[in-house]
Amino acid sequence: MSSWLAQAIDSAEKIEDWLSPKRAISLAKLKETPWPGRKTEAWKYTPINAIERAQLSEKTGTAAKASEIDNLNSIDLVFVDGLFSEEASTSELPEGLTISSLQHAQSWALESFNQTKPSKHFFGLVNDVLATQGCIIDVAANTTIEQPIRITNSFSEGAQAHTRAIVRIGESSKLTVIEQLEGDLASLNTFFAEYQISEKAHLEHYRLALQSGKALSVGGCHFNLNQASTLDSSLIGYGSQLSRVDMDVIHSAEHSNAKLNVIYLLDGKELFDLHSAIEHTKPNGVSEQNVRCIAADRANAIFNGRIHIHRDAQKILAQMNNRNLLMSPNAQINTKPELEIYADDVRCAHGATIAEIDEEAMFYLQSRGVSRSEAQIMLSFAFINELVDQMKNDAVAQWLRPMLRERFAQMEIR
Amino acid sequence: MLKINDLHARVAQNDIIKGLNLEINAGEVHAIMGPNGAGKSTLSYSLAGRDNYEVTSGTATLDGKDLLDLEVEERAAAGLFLAFQYPVEIAGVSNMEFMKAAVDAQRAARDQEALSSSEFLKRAKAACKQVNLPLNFLKRGVNEGFSGGEKKRNEIMQMILLEPKISILDESDSGLDIDALKIVAEGINSQRDGERSFLVITHYQRLLDYIKPDFVHVLAEGKIVKSGGPELALELESQGYAWLESYDRTAQDGEQ
Ligand SMILES: Nc1ncnc2c1ncn2[C@@H]1O[C@H](COP(=O)(O)OP(=O)(O)OP(=O)(O)O)[C@@H](O)[C@H]1O
Ligand SMILES: [Mg+2]
Repeated sequence: MSSWLAQAIDSAEKIEDWLSPKRAISLAKLKETPWPGRKTEAWKYTPINAIERAQLSEKTGTAAKASEIDNLNSIDLVFVDGLFSEEASTSELPEGLTISSLQHAQSWALESFNQTKPSKHFFGLVNDVLATQGCIIDVAANTTIEQPIRITNSFSEGAQAHTRAIVRIGESSKLTVIEQLEGDLASLNTFFAEYQISEKAHLEHYRLALQSGKALSVGGCHFNLNQASTLDSSLIGYGSQLSRVDMDVIHSAEHSNAKLNVIYLLDGKELFDLHSAIEHTKPNGVSEQNVRCIAADRANAIFNGRIHIHRDAQKILAQMNNRNLLMSPNAQINTKPELEIYADDVRCAHGATIAEIDEEAMFYLQSRGVSRSEAQIMLSFAFINELVDQMKNDAVAQWLRPMLRERFAQMEIR
Repeated sequence: MLKINDLHARVAQNDIIKGLNLEINAGEVHAIMGPNGAGKSTLSYSLAGRDNYEVTSGTATLDGKDLLDLEVEERAAAGLFLAFQYPVEIAGVSNMEFMKAAVDAQRAARDQEALSSSEFLKRAKAACKQVNLPLNFLKRGVNEGFSGGEKKRNEIMQMILLEPKISILDESDSGLDIDALKIVAEGINSQRDGERSFLVITHYQRLLDYIKPDFVHVLAEGKIVKSGGPELALELESQGYAWLESYDRTAQDGEQ
């Protein structure tokens, strides 16, 4: 067994709280799951031995908090090295919104814990048994929370942090959640979030996985969609020594709609790995997933996307589109879109392509005086910016655009 | 200004332009009319330098400069503008970013001082207003989701911002409602200053009521087959192209 894991299990066995009944189940499962290696399908292209080598210490809580997003006016939940910072967080909440610490028992949250996140995710189990810090967010029925909630995570050198979010959005309610992860120092974090989206409710979701450099980050977001509920999610991934996100969308009732946009922007030796699964268990659901990746230098992008349409889940409309732009012969993109269909009356499409420059667009730009090389940069950036344009939250889009542009310009230089 | 001499051009192995001559002087407005498939767009693309539109012989100069020798963007910097018959949608590039890059590039190519961001913004907004496009069209992706008429007005907006010496307007009037037609025509007229020239490709006399052309030409079978004053457009409107000798020939070809 990995020594890191042995230590993790050791720590977990000392934890005693209201989540213990759930933690015990995960701990048992974790003990019988082999340490993921190259032969483990879900970890085939993503080596995790860096976790073993990392010099990790106790939580210090000394890192700077994550950057502000201009004009966002959010309700902030600030975590530094996995510790909740009450003073940096927003205390005043609008009516209909309840937020509490993971340290305080809530019966619905106990029930909700692990209801959406499947037990197949190895580090999900790790998070189950080690996350003692986090937040529980509850939106009452028929409530629109205008202010977005922003959960930020930043890390100092050597920190090890395990945080969890449990979110419930009541019937016909609306919520926006932004998960923000930052930092490039050697640290390890697992941050998993579970969302219950009730009947006719709507979640606008952003995961800004902006860790880079030596950061080791393994986490996930998991959504349960009830009758006629909708999800609009955007994931931005920079890569780092190890950046992995697992995403699950479970359509557990009819007429639910999920849209997932994903942008990867990888440079240097960075790695970003997204494993996503969309489960249609009931008829009349809609999902759309757009994954766009630009990889430069010796970066490694991994996308494993699965759409699973269960038997009798008829009239499903599912689309997955994965386009990739390789900017260097040494960059790698490993992509595996999978469609698994057990119903006969569905409309599904999936595809993965290496993007090519659209010559018609190129001619149009040039005909206005833009040089071919500049037009090439514009069109390559447009390739991901198109998904930024689709973001509903203007403040997030406007904050991201110059950052992504800057990062892209750096990649161009090589 | 623009001189085209015995131009021959081909597309995908087909000879389309077959010995075309045209001279447009500074400040003039010329109209080209002609049946579908005559080669009007092919002529525009050949002048703009589109890939696969291969000029096999002849010359085209702009103020004495050989256009055919230049890259696409160099032709633009030299003062050539083409309003596309079918403007291209580019998601992810905003109209504003596009036009800023275009104006910057053209000014740099002409050794003009760069515009400040605020000066550019001022001009872009004015151009937008002039063609009656809401200002948020500057933020939207280039032509992305624009209606047919909005795309055409966006072309004119670009022309106003870029101030080209010669503007080729390929059916800028098609698909426009009555008000939009006036707006486009006024946009074009506002640019007439006795120096800049225009080549207006159209199927309808209507546009020419607003933009008085100095000359009207009929393009058929890859050549200018007839030229005249504004009255020629009226004649075509009532008689169509049946009188064209080439028309009969095509019909006969079909029977063989
Ligand atoms: N890429 C191409 N491949 C093959 N044929 C082409 C191509 N582009 C143009 N052509 C042919 O060249 C001829 C002239 O086309 P062009 O578009 O120039 O006509 P036009 O005069 O602009 O017609 P319209 O009034 O319908 O716009 C047509 O027969 C057309 O089919
Ligand atoms: Mg045409």
